[in-house]
Amino acid sequence: MPGSSRWLMGCLLAVCVPAAGADLPAARLMVKPLLCVTERESDHCSLTFDIRWKSTIAAEYCLNDSALDAPLRCWGRALSGSHSLKREVKEAFVYWLGTPGGVQRAAEVKIEVLRLDSADRRRDRRMRHVWDVL
Amino acid sequence: MLRFIMHAFGKLLKIGALWSVVALAHGQATDPAANAAPATTAPVFALPPPPESHWRIGAAFGYGQRTNPLIQSEDIPVLVDLDIAWFGKRWFFDNGDIGLTLFDRAQSTTSLVARLNSDRVFFGKTNTEYVNFAYAGSGEVSALVDPDTGAQATEPVEVVPPDRDYAIELGVESLIDGDWGSATLRAFHDVSGTHGGYELSAFYSWRWITGRFALAPSVGVSYKSAALNDYYWGVQADEANLALPEYHPSDGFNFEGGVQANYYLNRNLRIALSVNYERLADDVAASPLADEDYVMAYFSGLAWTF
Repeated sequence: MPGSSRWLMGCLLAVCVPAAGADLPAARLMVKPLLCVTERESDHCSLTFDIRWKSTIAAEYCLNDSALDAPLRCWGRALSGSHSLKREVKEAFVYWLGTPGGVQRAAEVKIEVLRLDSADRRRDRRMRHVWDVL
Repeated sequence: MLRFIMHAFGKLLKIGALWSVVALAHGQATDPAANAAPATTAPVFALPPPPESHWRIGAAFGYGQRTNPLIQSEDIPVLVDLDIAWFGKRWFFDNGDIGLTLFDRAQSTTSLVARLNSDRVFFGKTNTEYVNFAYAGSGEVSALVDPDTGAQATEPVEVVPPDRDYAIELGVESLIDGDWGSATLRAFHDVSGTHGGYELSAFYSWRWITGRFALAPSVGVSYKSAALNDYYWGVQADEANLALPEYHPSDGFNFEGGVQANYYLNRNLRIALSVNYERLADDVAASPLADEDYVMAYFSGLAWTF
């Protein structure tokens, strides 16, 4: 598969935002899974994230979690990297790739949370109309 | 008519008051710690979730069907399933149902709800036919016998499935949930003077989630009064003929079970599959108007929630 096709495929699998700054090399970030499906009773997901990134220019990159101040991991002058970690997810957050100590994002991926039952239980009312089959 | 509505409304208020006492007791008996988030060592960020929109708009596209137990009628295809609902603090509109929430407790929510009866939908697409047999209920037929001569009739008889009206029903609904799953209790009475009957129902469902896949089996039972069953599934004297004998069902229980399966592609889009089977009450199934003793509904498709 050509590189551009892989890039496109990667963007379909993950929300990619490359090249956020002029002095920041373009990079792509791929994360699985992207969605936490939960409900009120369990409250959170325990997910093992498989995170991979690639860049066209070797540079120092750090992988960040928007919910944390410190980077999860940094690489020195690398073209690619991978990282795997287990994390509990209650709210949506972003994994992003940037330079050490920098705030510019070379790429980012949003992890979303879907709660199947609402705090308002009327939204889970059982319907009984003929056309309502879901 | 007005006296009847007032009488029915009075009954419903009594039911509502009893219901609210039960809901209140249930809420007070709940241990608040039971809903606390589990202790974890990994970072868990308990930011309050963003406020939900008052609206819930969704649409599902695919293929499905609800069978029609009425004789000389067509099954009801379901190609699009629209979901339009609005939820305020007290009032709500949910796909045609209008509700006023009376109590909202930790484990239960009780509302006064106005709705249309669901049995009427089966009488929407019917065909007039000429038959040389008599409907005997449960899909069975018997010989067409002339009551005057006792001999088998030779001329076909015209059968027109009777018209039935929508009934506006007012009632109380309690939604209860916990670690054990969720339950719905309902009590509704006709306030439009259409059938003059009532319905009590209870449903239970639970959900199992693994990854992006969610499975939700459900079971339920509903009791329908003789007046309700007789209006929709009875054959009145002025509707009867040789092929469609007069019939008056009594009250009875409908039982149902189903399962919903969803695979979530993202927050808004999912692949949905739903199957539901309802067994009609014996007296309804035995009606000459009933061709089948069950209603089967299924749907599969893509569902989008905005």
